[in-house]
Amino acid sequence: MNKLIIELTINGKKRKVETTISTRLLDLIRDDLHLTGTKEGCGKGECGACTVIMNGELIASCLVLAPQADGAVITTIEGVGDDKCLDSVQEAFIETGAVQCGFCTPGMILAAKKLLEENPHPDEEEIKRGISGNLCRCTGYQKIFDAIKLAANRLSKKGGGRGEENA
Amino acid sequence: MHQRTVPCQFFAPQKIEEALEILSRYGKEIKVIAGGTDLLIQYYDRLYEVGDWLDLKNIKELKEIKIHQNQMEIGAMVTHVQLEKSEAIKKYFPVLSQAAADIGSPQIRNRGTIGGNIVNASPAGDLLAPLMAYETQFKLLSVQGERIVPAEEFFIGPKKTIIEPAQLLTRIILPLPSERTYGSWIKIGKRKALIIATITLALIVEMAEDDKTFKNVRTCLGSVAPTPIEIKEVREKMIGKNFSQLDFNQLGQIVEDKISPIDDIRGTKEYRKDVAKEIMINALEEIDAAWRSYK
Repeated sequence: MNKLIIELTINGKKRKVETTISTRLLDLIRDDLHLTGTKEGCGKGECGACTVIMNGELIASCLVLAPQADGAVITTIEGVGDDKCLDSVQEAFIETGAVQCGFCTPGMILAAKKLLEENPHPDEEEIKRGISGNLCRCTGYQKIFDAIKLAANRLSKKGGGRGEENA
Repeated sequence: MHQRTVPCQFFAPQKIEEALEILSRYGKEIKVIAGGTDLLIQYYDRLYEVGDWLDLKNIKELKEIKIHQNQMEIGAMVTHVQLEKSEAIKKYFPVLSQAAADIGSPQIRNRGTIGGNIVNASPAGDLLAPLMAYETQFKLLSVQGERIVPAEEFFIGPKKTIIEPAQLLTRIILPLPSERTYGSWIKIGKRKALIIATITLALIVEMAEDDKTFKNVRTCLGSVAPTPIEIKEVREKMIGKNFSQLDFNQLGQIVEDKISPIDDIRGTKEYRKDVAKEIMINALEEIDAAWRSYK
């Protein structure tokens, strides 16, 4: 009944997954691939907790049907950094105390990474716009801005500053 | 709920012709999906109710922005971020580019499409007033043939359009404006990101060859009536005149008088009327200043 198989590359690994035509990408990621770093907040594209990077673009995985992701290349928070070494943005979030309850953090880090990839030296307004699709109810955002600025500084010192050191 | 014996299908054709064929076969039974940023919210708790899907993501032709003779043709699957960043759109249709930049959030702008915004036909759709102001036409295709419809005739009510189940919106056609064209875009909402507009205004003013008098004026608003609307009376008052002959306050009053907003969660009728007048005055001032600095 309404089952189909899709193929996608998730965090660098090719996967074949059986899904249905009315499954959201978010549910496929959490329930079928067991990558539970991606969260469901509002389920309506307003909070950004379900943010992932699909085909190089920041998207809300609650607003994508799983079959729409057939053939896509996806990065979730589990694909950022590795067991031995955190990504610069992750490190900066920890150092500045930009994580409180943590629910928004995976989406926030992906949004920050994407922002710095497109604009390595964002000013405060550009940071605000870059993470405007991600709500945080704990931090008041200031420490998140601090984290993104810190990561931007470090990445530019490393040279390149494209946040691809984990690729 | 009716039981289906045939399994539901997810179609993602690569050619427009195939999509039209599928539409002619399934008609009302199938949901056409573009970016999904409206549809998945609308069907949030009842996705299972949708039988078959027709996803347009693989049709490359629908993702192009082209200039052809004296018009720009935008494919229905062009995303808001493409509209925002396209140099050609920034040059010829800055109000459309600015409106696209004000939509939702990065996540929404990366997925949401111009075609989806049009066919969804929300009275608050951010691109609709700008499209109407630029005298846009929509190309609707079906296996029967094509139909070109001006934006004014396309929208007939909140979330209601004249598109038929077998038709697909494929292209958005905008005539290239003259160099003496000025525009202003104003969106009012309770916050900047992820907000459904309380009111939107797209004002486009084209100067005559003398660069002093007004040749054409389009004052279009969203969220103030069942569909996006043009205030024709403003055009009638302005054409043939120049800036020094205008009473901005009076033109603002015309806009206030001619709109028919409702009370809703985003604002009262009175609030919308007051704000409509003020933003009309602001838009005229902005265009006046741009015209002066350009001279």
